[in-house]
Amino acid sequence: MEFYLSVMTFTLISVIAVTGVYVLTGLTGMFSLGQAAFMAIGAYISGVLVVKVGLPFALAAIIAIALSVLVGYIVGLPTVRLRRDYISLVTLGFGEAITALLNQMQSITGGALGFSGIPQKTTFTLAVASAAVCIALVAYFKASKYGRQCIAAKSDELAAKAMGIDVARIKMIAFLFSVAVTAYAGVLYAFYTTYVDPGIFGWKKSAEWVIMVFFGGVNSLTGSIIGTAILTALPEMLRFAAEYRTVFYSILVLLIINFKPAGLFGEYELSLKSLGIGREKKNAA
Amino acid sequence: MLLEVQNISKSFGGVKAIQDFSLTADKGDIVGIIGPNGAGKTTTFNVISGVYRADQGKVFLDGKDITNMEQHQITREGISRTFQNIRLFKGLNVMENVMCAFDPRANYSIFDGLLPTPRRFAEEKRGRKICEHNLEVVGLKKYANEKPESLPYGLQRRLEIARALTCQPKVLLLDEPAAGLNPTEVKELTELISRLCSELGFAVLLIEHRLELVMGISHKIYVLNFGKTIAVGTPDEVRSNPEVIEAYLGEEDAEC
Repeated sequence: MEFYLSVMTFTLISVIAVTGVYVLTGLTGMFSLGQAAFMAIGAYISGVLVVKVGLPFALAAIIAIALSVLVGYIVGLPTVRLRRDYISLVTLGFGEAITALLNQMQSITGGALGFSGIPQKTTFTLAVASAAVCIALVAYFKASKYGRQCIAAKSDELAAKAMGIDVARIKMIAFLFSVAVTAYAGVLYAFYTTYVDPGIFGWKKSAEWVIMVFFGGVNSLTGSIIGTAILTALPEMLRFAAEYRTVFYSILVLLIINFKPAGLFGEYELSLKSLGIGREKKNAA
Repeated sequence: MLLEVQNISKSFGGVKAIQDFSLTADKGDIVGIIGPNGAGKTTTFNVISGVYRADQGKVFLDGKDITNMEQHQITREGISRTFQNIRLFKGLNVMENVMCAFDPRANYSIFDGLLPTPRRFAEEKRGRKICEHNLEVVGLKKYANEKPESLPYGLQRRLEIARALTCQPKVLLLDEPAAGLNPTEVKELTELISRLCSELGFAVLLIEHRLELVMGISHKIYVLNFGKTIAVGTPDEVRSNPEVIEAYLGEEDAEC
């Protein structure tokens, strides 16, 4: 039971991080290979503030998110004006720089050995509530003028500008929102494992999240969440077949990309309306 | 004068796409821009709407210099456009496509964007009403929940016009709105453009290959060839201009 609870908590934390990536990649079409660095910033800042400064958990979490957003703003300023492929490069460089920085700042972060002694504050209940709130915020965002403008900018930047949309600004908003959500996932992570080290926040983590978004359906928040749940929980459940689980994971991703290029859910969104209409009109949403 | 384009030039490398192009348009005017392929027609639109910066020359809207503004600012000042190759937003339905043109002036903050606040609902409702009206104007109201790519070509063109109308233009730039339409659709479109122009009182700039359309509704026509303006005048004047006949009307194959 303990084991399943822990798997579910980790899955929920991943779901939160991926809803952030969904805003960035799914809605706005920007690929960040440094997104995990914001999770690291959230985790480390909140951890240091609680352990070394003695702030209460909630306050530390808020400060950590605010500082992450500030860092995101500085990174975003030159980045959002770039073409999509360059955005991945800049964020990749930024992410690796953060990892290197965490390794170097031994006196504060503990360096490569990691930062330990963080009190365990994240409970399963907190993870569930947090995930629900983050999903709701992202769903509201998607349905708002911001979400529409993000999708317009992703679909056709030139036409979006011709409609009066300030594309650089809308990309910045999406970026900062996604940074805030990802940083919060980092806070929850640090206060669940009680130990963080720089190695787990590299570009591979960021790439994994992008895969999860694509796996579930790049236009569907529902898909991203379910995709994350499957791809996070599955490898854990398959621990008994340790040497085969990566193979299994890869095959699953390849099958989806091959046979459902739009992802598991495509553009489908789960909502009260789509449930009310019934199953025969599955594509109506 | 509502729109005043003064001596703009634009080159791409060694190619002079437009040279010394000037144009004026007043409220209610329909101004045609014609010329063979590669004459620089779309480039003039791209310079006016801010996609490209002019190398030389100035563009004034209502007396305000908009030459060096960003593309989205120019749209907000009151110049909106459609595209030669239809550019609708995939991933958004017909209604949402039109809403995108309203969104930049929707008056609610990011907090309203993340939460179900009364302000957000009020603004969304206001926008939806405007967009519904514009969809009705172009005859697309019943397709509001369709995907744009599933509409026939003619209706996609109309959707582009509805979207451009939602930007509240003072000047509307239509880049080959009749391309790929059948004769009936062309006739309907011509009527729509004339009607909008007289009812809403904006100026229309029209790039068009189909002479019957341009000649039929334009008050004034500019003829371009190799980036140069070779004739300006009423449809009748242009039709009888020998240079125009040679450059454009005489060479039917040039269009293919």
